[in-house]
Amino acid sequence: MHSKSLVLIALFTAIIVVLGLIPPIMVAFIPVPIHAQSLGVLMAGIVLGARGGALSALLLIVLVAIGLPVLSGGRGGLAVFLSPTAGYLVGYLPTAWATGWLSERVALKAGGGWKTFAGLLAAAVVGVIVTHVFGVAWLITYVGLSPRDALVGDLIFVPGDLIKAGIAAYVGQFVLQNFGSRLRMQ
Amino acid sequence: MRTPTGSILECVPPAVKLAALFSISVLLFLTGSLTLLGSAAGTVLVLCLLFCRFAVLQWLKAWPLLLTIAAVALWTAYNDGYQEALVLLLRLGTLSLVATVVTVTTSIGEFIETVTRAAIPLERLGIANARDIGLAIGLVMRFVPDVRQRYLAVVDAHRARGLPLRPTTLIAPMVIGTLKSADDIADAIDARGIRTNSHPQKRAENA
Repeated sequence: MHSKSLVLIALFTAIIVVLGLIPPIMVAFIPVPIHAQSLGVLMAGIVLGARGGALSALLLIVLVAIGLPVLSGGRGGLAVFLSPTAGYLVGYLPTAWATGWLSERVALKAGGGWKTFAGLLAAAVVGVIVTHVFGVAWLITYVGLSPRDALVGDLIFVPGDLIKAGIAAYVGQFVLQNFGSRLRMQ
Repeated sequence: MRTPTGSILECVPPAVKLAALFSISVLLFLTGSLTLLGSAAGTVLVLCLLFCRFAVLQWLKAWPLLLTIAAVALWTAYNDGYQEALVLLLRLGTLSLVATVVTVTTSIGEFIETVTRAAIPLERLGIANARDIGLAIGLVMRFVPDVRQRYLAVVDAHRARGLPLRPTTLIAPMVIGTLKSADDIADAIDARGIRTNSHPQKRAENA
């Protein structure tokens, strides 16, 4: 791997961490805070592609395991992996990969404009779905919630995450169009 | 992140602590008996109070995590009864405490070393370079304050011009500004030869 790719991956992980520092909002008693961190994960996939995005998310997960307070709300440490919402964190890795894989195909084919935006938005929405599938699967298998309860708790966050997908697609397209050639992973 | 705790657990090798955490997490989910789970939770709590009081404090400080566990327990109590909720509370509570103990008694350096060593099999398989993993972790720690500073600067620029704070106009400049510095940092890494010892042939490729 070239040094520049390594640096880009580390920089994006830092961006994801900083987005988590913006204070999260807890919705009633539902145990998932709304925060901008997943926005960073989607952007990592869009901007860096499947491999770079996934490595960025993996780096974030390793930092959490090390015990650094890098998640929204200053969470970190191995305890996070054993908490009810761990599925969403672990899901970041396949999310970044899936979003990246799809956007690589869009960025190469469409020549900009609304077609690119629509493609990136679709990629980000697929990413959101992947995160939620992992989150719900964890709530059901590990925490032991019934599928209905897990889904009800999860659906409340879908609208917010879809807005985040829109922002990620918009910012991602802006970054790709202005700096795309300089960010190519080698 | 470790601040000196004075606990004897700091002397235990990190790999042993991680293995212990993993086995405890499996064992707690093998049993559904309240007596067994209750005594496990009690033993862990007493041992922590005896040997690593700092970890208990940190555990209590991580209240968003405890709130999450409490919320799920309440929901379970409402749906499946108090028995199930208590089992869940004991399991997740004990696990989060043990995980906190491992985290506070292990320094970041030790963790990076353990991760790097654990990555050596990956390096042998040709998937990853163990030293690069350590370097990447160090780079993120170094970059977070910079990126945060950049974000605050963009917020200030918005305020100075009386612009509303919108996610798109805040995040795009932050991402672009940050990624623009990638070339310089990569050049600095290559100039210092930080990655040369492990992969001399790669340096030739980069040059």
